[in-house]
Amino acid sequence: MPTPTRQSRLPGRLPQEADVADAGSSAPPVVEFHDVTVAYGGRPVLWNVDLTIAEPCLFGIIGPNGAGKSTLLKSALGLVPLVHGTARFWGRPLAEVRGRVGYVPQRETVDWDFPVSVTDVVLMGTYGRLGWFRRPGSRERSLARECLDRVGLIDVADRQIGRLSGGQQQRVFLARALAQEADVYFLDEPMAGVDARSQEQIFGVLAGLRSEGRLVVVVHHDLRTAAAWFDRVALIDMRLVATGPTAEVLTPDNLRRTYAGQVDLLQEIGQAVAARGRTP
Amino acid sequence: MNMVLADWSIDGATAMHAWAIATAATVAAACALVGTLLVVRRMSLLGDAIGHAVLPGIAVAVLVGGRPGSPLVFAAAVATGLLTVWLTRLVRSAGGLADDAGTGVVFTTLFALGVVIVTAAASRVDIDPSCLLYGILELVPFDTVSIGGVEVPRGFVSAAIVLAVLAAAAIATWKLQVFTAFDADAARAAGVPVAAVTGGLLAATALATVAGFEVVGAVLVVAMLVVPAAAAELLVRRLHHMALVAMVLAIVGACLGYLAAWRWNASAAGMIAVVLGIEYAAAVVLAPDDGLVARGLGRLRYAWRVLCEDRLAAVWRAEEKGTAAAVPVSLVQRLAVGWLWLTGRFVGPAGRLALSPAGRREAEMVVRSHRLWEAWLGQHAQLPLDHLHPPAEWVEHHLGAAMRQRIEAEVGGIGDPHGSEIPPEA
Repeated sequence: MPTPTRQSRLPGRLPQEADVADAGSSAPPVVEFHDVTVAYGGRPVLWNVDLTIAEPCLFGIIGPNGAGKSTLLKSALGLVPLVHGTARFWGRPLAEVRGRVGYVPQRETVDWDFPVSVTDVVLMGTYGRLGWFRRPGSRERSLARECLDRVGLIDVADRQIGRLSGGQQQRVFLARALAQEADVYFLDEPMAGVDARSQEQIFGVLAGLRSEGRLVVVVHHDLRTAAAWFDRVALIDMRLVATGPTAEVLTPDNLRRTYAGQVDLLQEIGQAVAARGRTP
Repeated sequence: MNMVLADWSIDGATAMHAWAIATAATVAAACALVGTLLVVRRMSLLGDAIGHAVLPGIAVAVLVGGRPGSPLVFAAAVATGLLTVWLTRLVRSAGGLADDAGTGVVFTTLFALGVVIVTAAASRVDIDPSCLLYGILELVPFDTVSIGGVEVPRGFVSAAIVLAVLAAAAIATWKLQVFTAFDADAARAAGVPVAAVTGGLLAATALATVAGFEVVGAVLVVAMLVVPAAAAELLVRRLHHMALVAMVLAIVGACLGYLAAWRWNASAAGMIAVVLGIEYAAAVVLAPDDGLVARGLGRLRYAWRVLCEDRLAAVWRAEEKGTAAAVPVSLVQRLAVGWLWLTGRFVGPAGRLALSPAGRREAEMVVRSHRLWEAWLGQHAQLPLDHLHPPAEWVEHHLGAAMRQRIEAEVGGIGDPHGSEIPPEA
């Protein structure tokens, strides 16, 4: 399958970026969303997001339910089609750097009764690198054990995944992403439905990734922990409300705009766009 | 054909049956392999749909001169199978139908189209509509090709080729199939060509279905796709084990089903499907972890443990109070006491039983669990005193040594809320 590539609809912009990179005045940002708009079934759910994450850090994407946080992650990973805009990594399209970008989906998106063991799931993190026909070998197996050790699950390595607690399942997903040995990690609600002990453990692993110089982008819903955990955040509510260092962004004014903002307006317009009609 | 049958000697007839069994087993194994992936991907219905919808493809291929079982017919069937999937998606998006309804609309329409083509062209095409529904397993051995001087049934040859192709494809791409089946989004994000992997599975389904078509017919091929895999899912916990077990169950079912049909002079295809159903029922009853027998035994074992622990604790409490223990009244309680005596936890003559050192240790741990839980509940849930006993009576059978220590640390050495002493850990 050809990997979906996202050509910029704004050709004038690309050479400009390349020039900057060539001049060496600054490295291209790790992740850059440029004017990203996403629609499901013709209905826009995320409008014109410009978001640049220049350097590795712990980055939180915060917003209410239905704000398009998960959609923003998926748009960067080629999992949802973009109406327009681009998402680039180190100035390059995803197809060129796919192996360096890891993804942890929401835990509820898979069937945990699926007949695989914990180690099987973690090994999946190495499949992208192995290609079509190569099987995981001893290097992959020892890497999987290392990753399980890192998330504190070495004792349940051979267990069927359905016999784990919610927090353990989330850590299995995290271990799978670690096994990919990526430079950028996208995590979709890794703390949802997870006990406090697992949360601490997951956060510890994420902080470790940051200290290794990797970028960790986390979709998160809990404002109390967000302030403590993230270096930088973006507030999203169908559009980018604000982004920057956590303390500067999580202001009462920004939060009010995020959690009681222009949603109704954007939703109404979105429905009209989907129906090819006009708003009242 | 019947005249031919009469000419066969006993040995020849046995050989014919052996070929039929081999063909059925080969087809069943191919279907079970594909079916394993369909079942875990919750796509069993799609297998059913493809099984029916390939009929017009086969009919047209035969109309233009393809022999049943020839590559042309297989290619046409695979193409129609993939067309089914595409049409289902089209109907779903264009007609706004739910997934299952869309599948239902497409496969019945295509199957009906196939029936119309077959019946309208009946004079020109050698397809018997009832064979399409029930298969022609009994006749498979009579249509042979010569391979190295040996007359081999054509149906067996095509089934064997299909099985070999599917097995090779499964071995080569198994890890991608597993990843896609388990978590398609993460697989796509990791660069797995998810659409190609799924397309491959659908093409494999069409291949296995066409091979099964000839042997057991369009309806019962679904049994071969789904039933062995569903049974295997109950028996093992890893996907590749599931595929292997499903294939073994399918082969056993095909052999036993054919032999039973031979013995009772019934439809071989029908009997094979019935045997597969019986295998599934057996798996439901006998599955090692979640089977009815295992669950029943687990419940019995638990009830027995509770009974024994309660007897031990009753005697310990009576000793503590300095009264005589209540005499067991029910038969099961007497049985439990007898068992505890036999296993050396009670000593002494009947009527004046006392705890042995081992029995005393066990009883103390039950009482300790009980009183710790009462203490914990009293402290954390602020329940009135009369609410504490029933939950403790239940939880006392479930606490391990480490949990007791944790609870003791939390309640901080205070006594049981009823004023009794909490026995120390053994």
